[in-house]
Amino acid sequence: MNRRNTELGLILLAVLITGCAYVLSALGKDSNIPANLVPFLAALVGLLVVAHVATRYLARGADSIVLPIVVLLNGIGYVVLVRLNAHRFAGPQATWTFIGIGAYVATLIVVRRVNDLRLHHWRFFWLGVVLLMLPLVPGIGREVGGARIWVSVGPLSFQPGEIAKICLAIFFAGYLEERRELIAAGTWRVGPLNLPEPRYLLPILAAWGVSVVLMVGMKDLGTALMFFTLFVVMLWVGTEKGSYLAIGAVLFSGAAFVAWKVIANVQNRVNLWIDPWSRYRDVHGGYQIIQAQFGIASGSLGGLGLGQGTPGKIPAAQNDFIFAAIAEELGLFGATAILMAFVLIVGSGLRTATKAERPFEKLLAVGLTTVLGIQAFIIIGGVLRVLPLTGVTLPFVSYGGSSLVSNYVLLALLMRIGDSTARRIGELPDDVSWAQRRAARRWAKGVTRTNVGDADGTAIA
Amino acid sequence: MNRQIRLLAVGLLVCYAALFIKLNILQVGESKQLSADPRNDRAVIQTFNKPRGPIMSADGVVLASSVATPTEKFKFQRQYPTGDLFADVTGYYSFTYGATQVEKVENAILAGTTTQQQVGALGNIFTKDTNTTGSVTLTLRNDLQTVAKTALGDREGSVVVLDPRTGAILAMYSYPSYDPNQVADHDSVAAANALAVMNADGRKPLLANAYQERYMPGSTFKMLTVSAALENGTVTTATTFPSERQFLPPQTTDPILNFAGELCGGTLAVSFARSCNTAFARVAVDMGPQAWIDGVGKFGVNNEAVPIDLPGAAKSTIGTPTFLATLSQNIPLLGIGGFGQGNDSITPLQMAMVGATIANGGVEMKPFAIANTKDFNGNILSQTAPTPWRSPISAATSAIVTQLMIGVVQTGTARCCLKLDGGIQAAAKTGTAQLNATGQPPRSHAWIVAFAPAEAPRYVVAVMLKGVNDQISAGTGGTLAGPIARQMLNAALAIPQ
Repeated sequence: MNRRNTELGLILLAVLITGCAYVLSALGKDSNIPANLVPFLAALVGLLVVAHVATRYLARGADSIVLPIVVLLNGIGYVVLVRLNAHRFAGPQATWTFIGIGAYVATLIVVRRVNDLRLHHWRFFWLGVVLLMLPLVPGIGREVGGARIWVSVGPLSFQPGEIAKICLAIFFAGYLEERRELIAAGTWRVGPLNLPEPRYLLPILAAWGVSVVLMVGMKDLGTALMFFTLFVVMLWVGTEKGSYLAIGAVLFSGAAFVAWKVIANVQNRVNLWIDPWSRYRDVHGGYQIIQAQFGIASGSLGGLGLGQGTPGKIPAAQNDFIFAAIAEELGLFGATAILMAFVLIVGSGLRTATKAERPFEKLLAVGLTTVLGIQAFIIIGGVLRVLPLTGVTLPFVSYGGSSLVSNYVLLALLMRIGDSTARRIGELPDDVSWAQRRAARRWAKGVTRTNVGDADGTAIA
Repeated sequence: MNRQIRLLAVGLLVCYAALFIKLNILQVGESKQLSADPRNDRAVIQTFNKPRGPIMSADGVVLASSVATPTEKFKFQRQYPTGDLFADVTGYYSFTYGATQVEKVENAILAGTTTQQQVGALGNIFTKDTNTTGSVTLTLRNDLQTVAKTALGDREGSVVVLDPRTGAILAMYSYPSYDPNQVADHDSVAAANALAVMNADGRKPLLANAYQERYMPGSTFKMLTVSAALENGTVTTATTFPSERQFLPPQTTDPILNFAGELCGGTLAVSFARSCNTAFARVAVDMGPQAWIDGVGKFGVNNEAVPIDLPGAAKSTIGTPTFLATLSQNIPLLGIGGFGQGNDSITPLQMAMVGATIANGGVEMKPFAIANTKDFNGNILSQTAPTPWRSPISAATSAIVTQLMIGVVQTGTARCCLKLDGGIQAAAKTGTAQLNATGQPPRSHAWIVAFAPAEAPRYVVAVMLKGVNDQISAGTGGTLAGPIARQMLNAALAIPQ
């Protein structure tokens, strides 16, 4: 069985799980089978078949488990959103899932060679920076829950940071691919420390500066942490120098400490992380995080069952807190399955990275995987009170178009890297596709005709 | 670079392991503690989103049930099809105001949260319904309750019917009552308004007046005084009392009068049948304070609450402990207490239990309203076993008092009103409790305690009509409460055994 058949099987399994969850959730909530079950399943299967067929033809050698896992996450997220408020969330989320899968297919079509992206890495840098700074522009930037990470234009609102993370991962990969050996070679001994030469410290300082600006401007620790981690990890992997990790940690801790001292929102979030109980009654205080703790706790081992809990009590359960809703209704088992899904995506992404031969592809795979893994970690950690809460979405699960679309693009790039590596190292299975078979037939026919035609002519070289 | 990537993988795995550990702490370690936190109202909300078992009357009428309301805030609405008929017993189940009465004491069974129900439902997973909710069946009967309500009409008062042999409460109704549907309304504003009106009502409709309020018992108390006096030998069936209009006890110049200033006295049987105040004031005074307090106190009237299986029973009293301790300096009040006035204040249920004790050979059973609880499939979860509470008098004394009470029906104050269908003999004691509040027009409560059949009693009824107007106050226990007791006993005796 080749990779794509495995993928198809797993996707159908994910559809089955999503369909069952959809029915159970409706049964739990209204004691009724949802009326639109058949159209729902048809649309779901249709959509996923498109994604699968696109992968089969466009990225045949890519890893077979990531797409099914993403489909499952998206499906469970959709079921929980419908369960929370079908009227508000079902339509938009379905539309954005369509657009997301469209973006996935489009990315596979447009980006035929990931390696070519490195030629444009400075363009991606500027695009990323502009997107990141967009929420700070007066008039279109919007502050939600104390953090300024949204942009509203007319009826549309999105988080540009979601798209910026891909742009910046491409930029870092391109930049480091060019310079990583230079950066790694220069050393500057300070006492016992073997530091990089000061001028090669500049990039990390620049990234740090951008993060600080983000933190101050957006009043959001999470986004800053996400980007800074992305850059430090890529720098470390690219240069193979552990000291960058240490420097990065020190720089970030310093900036975070100052932010905590200076920025009220950051201080507020940290205080609520340490002691949410003292301001439990305050809807803008500990109420949300405490309701999430109550919800998660009530889930216990097996969960209350889809549609049978009260996740609606958590403000913004559809967004940052969707993990709490899942943990409440699906319990420790369901929540662990979500964690495992992200671990598997991360594992698969990093396996793609280790296999990739070209440094740019390797670094990009590392970057994309890291940013996805860290983003999920930051928000789940925030919900579980492992970290201070910051407003990032849970990739593929949370409500929201920008998150879905950008993560599908991210997935397509990872699939593309996996595919190109598989082709280069000859991992592609020998089975011949229908198109190749036809091409071979036509070629053979042509050769035969040529042979006939050349029978009395000059010999072919 | 691959070495770094592998380290990165380990690092991210550690991050996710931290999440997994915290998830375990929240969902396993601290789950119970967080769920029990008083700030956590999820359990309550979930309860209101789950089905709840019904409360049934002994004759199979649904008194409370949960009806699915898919379009509303909560998925289920508690409904009380019988309105105010059983409100005193079932109570209400409201999101805002919690639960009362049976809804409160049997909450775990109704909601299906007992381990027994949950394990039981698990066992039925392949065969029967796995609904865990349970049902509660009362000892009260819808038919008797309806008779009580109709008989009372718009007169304030209480009716209690007991089985003297078991203590089972077959009817317990007070007017005015309230409609629990109004309090259980999901619309919290409507519920609050309804409750405010009920709370402001001086007639206390929210209380189960039959056992949560106490009233001056009047001459029905003579059952207690005569029982105690027979027990300690102060009187015998041979005792006679002087025929007199008034009796002047020691320590006073203010004489005790008979009802309407009548000439009253004679044998014990005649004095009891005619309900002579002078005679029973003499009995109490002759007994002396301590013997009287001990003797009547054995029935549970000395600042005690009846051990009913519903919450909030009022304590019946014959005077505060301080008053009773100095009763020897208040002999006139001892005399007055002896025939049920002065400081005597008894719940109608307690008065029914006194009648039941006499009917049951001197054994006072614990009263109960809950017959049994069942799981969803009808298997019995618990069944109330009849339990004796006290034995205040001997079987011999109870036989004598029964004869005295038969005399009340045949020739005495209840002869007008207690001729039962089929010639069944009833035994009774009436009471007309004169309130004599200063500055108020004369008011009196009308009482009767009766049981039948007198030779082998199966039902005891206590009726109390509050003396709130001239109409009630002008009557007597016999003429006003008597007909209600007759209807109750007739209806009860008509129930096929």
